[in-house]
Amino acid sequence: MELFLMSLVNGILVGGIYALVALGWVLIYKCSGVLNLAMGELTLVGAYVTLTFYEMGLPFFAAVLCTLAVGIILGILVERVFLDKLIGEPVLTVIMVTVGISFFFRGLVEFIWGTDTRVFEPPIFPIEPISIGFLKMSPVYLWSFILAIVLLLVFVGFFKYTRWGLAMQATADDETAALSLGISARFVYAAAWSIAFMSAGVGGALLGNINGINISVGYLGLLVLPAVVLGGLNSIPGAIVGGIVIGVLQNLSGTYLDKYFPGGVKDIVPFVFMAIFLLFKPYGLWGWEKIERV
Amino acid sequence: MSTVWLPCGTYHQSYEQDQGWWQTTFIRFKMILLLLCIFVFIPLFLPSYFVGVATMVGYTAMGALGVQLLIGYAGLVTLGHAAFIAVGAYTATLLVLQVPWPQWMLDLGLAYPISIVVAGIVGGIWCVLFGLPSAKVKGFYLILTTMAAQFVTVDFILTQYISQIGGRGQAFSLPPGTIKVGPIVIDSEREVYYLMAVLTTLMVMALANLLRSKVGRAWVAIRDNDIAAETMGINIVWYKLLAFFVAGLFGGVAGAFWISNTAALSPEHFPWFWSLWLVGVILIGGIGSIHGAIFGSMFMVIVMELLQWVVIPLSTYYPKLLVDFAYIKDSAFGLAIIAFLIYEPNGLAYRWWQIKNYFNLWPFSY
Repeated sequence: MELFLMSLVNGILVGGIYALVALGWVLIYKCSGVLNLAMGELTLVGAYVTLTFYEMGLPFFAAVLCTLAVGIILGILVERVFLDKLIGEPVLTVIMVTVGISFFFRGLVEFIWGTDTRVFEPPIFPIEPISIGFLKMSPVYLWSFILAIVLLLVFVGFFKYTRWGLAMQATADDETAALSLGISARFVYAAAWSIAFMSAGVGGALLGNINGINISVGYLGLLVLPAVVLGGLNSIPGAIVGGIVIGVLQNLSGTYLDKYFPGGVKDIVPFVFMAIFLLFKPYGLWGWEKIERV
Repeated sequence: MSTVWLPCGTYHQSYEQDQGWWQTTFIRFKMILLLLCIFVFIPLFLPSYFVGVATMVGYTAMGALGVQLLIGYAGLVTLGHAAFIAVGAYTATLLVLQVPWPQWMLDLGLAYPISIVVAGIVGGIWCVLFGLPSAKVKGFYLILTTMAAQFVTVDFILTQYISQIGGRGQAFSLPPGTIKVGPIVIDSEREVYYLMAVLTTLMVMALANLLRSKVGRAWVAIRDNDIAAETMGINIVWYKLLAFFVAGLFGGVAGAFWISNTAALSPEHFPWFWSLWLVGVILIGGIGSIHGAIFGSMFMVIVMELLQWVVIPLSTYYPKLLVDFAYIKDSAFGLAIIAFLIYEPNGLAYRWWQIKNYFNLWPFSY
C-alpha cells in the first residue's frame, strides 16, 4: 500500500511537468490547427539552453527565466520562418514540417552539445528525501511539480484573462470571425508557438534535473502526445488531466509491471494504454467530436 | 481514357489496351532500356561502391513503397513503418538461424526464400494488428497508434526480448553461407544488388497491379473521402486493414532483404528516425505515386552520399566534422523536408511528369 501511494504521488508530481508541456502542445493545436510532432525536441532545446545558462553561473531560477526569453524568440522565429508559409496547406504537410523541425533541432542540439549525459552541476535541489507522514519524496520532484504548476497557472491565466489570450481564444474558436474583427492571426500563431517553446523548455529543464540531460529527454517530451490524445486534442483541462494520468501510469507500471515484463515497460505503457483507450473513446476524454458530412 | 499520353494516330479499341502497362512502342522501348539498365548495366559495369549505393536506394524504396501505399493511396498516415520492417528482419533471421531445416532444403537453398515469404506475412499481420484502431479513429489519433507500434515493437519487444534469444546479447549475426537463394550464396555486393533488384521490381509490379484493380480504386476512394466511399458500398474497414496488410508485407520483405545486406541485425537498425525518414522520402518524391517512392529514395540516398563526399575532404581540416556528420545529416534532412514541402509540395514525381509532358509535345508545345 505504501509502495502504491509512493508511486502514485511521484507519478502525479512528474505528471505535472508533462501537463505543462502538454499545455504548450494544445495551445498550438487550438490556435492554429497544427499537430506538432517536434514537442520532444522543443523540450530538448529548453533543457540544454537552461543547462548552458546555469553553467554560465546564473542561479537556476534566473536560468529558467532566460530560457523563457529564448523560448519566446525561438517560437517567433520558427513560426515566421517555417510555418507562416504553410497556412492553408493540407494537415499532413504541416505535420511533416514539424517533423522536419524536430530533425533540424535534434541535429543542432547534438552538434552543439554532444550526446553525453550532462547533469546540473552543482545539483540544484538537495538530495535527501523530504518525508511527509510516511511518504518520502525527493525534493527534485516536489519543486519541479510546484514550478510546473505555477507556470501552468500563469499560462492558463494568460490564455483566459489577458487581451492577447482572448485574441488567441477567439482565433481558436473561429479563425475567420477573429480575422474579420481585426485580430492578427500571425500574431496569435507566433504567441502560441512562443508559449509552446516556453512550456516545453521549462518542462525539459525540470525533467533534466530528475534524470540528467541527454537525447532521451526528447523522448520524455514525446510522452505528451499520449497525454494530449488522452485528454482530447483541443481541451486544456484535458491536457492537464492527461499529463497527470500519463505520469501516474508510467510510475505505477514501473512499480508493478516491471517484475513481469522487465526492461523499459515504463516507457511504452503510455502508448499502449493510449492505443487501447482510443478504441473506446476515439476523441479522447474531452476532445471535440467532428461530425463529418460528405 | 488512357492513363498515358498517346502519340497522334494511336488509338485503343478495348479496355484492356487502355489499362495496359506498356502501351506504345516507345514506352516498351523505354522500359526495356530501364530494365536492362537495372539488371545489366548497373551491376556489371559500375564499380562496387555505386552498386552498394544502388542497393541502399532499393532498400529505402522497398520500405517507402509500403509507406506510399498507406499514406499516398489509402490516406492512413503512418509514423511507425520501421517497426514492420524490423519485424520482417527479425522473423527472417530467426527462421534462418533457429529452425532446424532439413538438409535437402538447405542444399536447395530454400531456407532463405521461404523465410522472406514468411517474414512478409508476419510483417503484414503485425501491421494489421496496429492498424485495427483505424476502424474507429482517424487523422492524428491514428498517427499516434502507429507511433505506438514503433515504440512497442522496436524499443520494447525486439530490444528486450527477441534480441536476447540465443544469448547473443544485442545483435544477431548471420554466419556466411546461411543466406542462400537456390544454388547462389548471397555474399557480395552484386549478389545482394540482384536480390534487391528482383524484389523491388516484383514489389513495384505488385503495387502497380493492385492500384489499377478494384482494390486500388477502393483505396483511392477511401483516401479522398471515406464517408463517400462507404456510401458507395466499399467496406472501408476491410480495405483499410488490407492496405495495412500489404504495406506490412512490403515492409516485412524489405526487412528480410536487409539481413542479406548486413549479415547482422540489431534493433538500432530500425529507430523511429527511420520511420520518419521513410515518410520524408515519399514527401520529397511526391505523395500518391509509385514514381514518388523511387525518386524520393534515389534523391535522399544520393544527397546523403554527396554530403559525405563533401564532408570527408573537409574533415582533414576539421577533424570534429567527421564525428558530427550524423548530426549534420539529421539537420540537413530536416531542412530538406521543410524546403521541399514549402517550395515543391508536389514532389519530384510531379516535376518528372512535367518534364515528360514537355517532351511529349516538343518542339511544338501549342
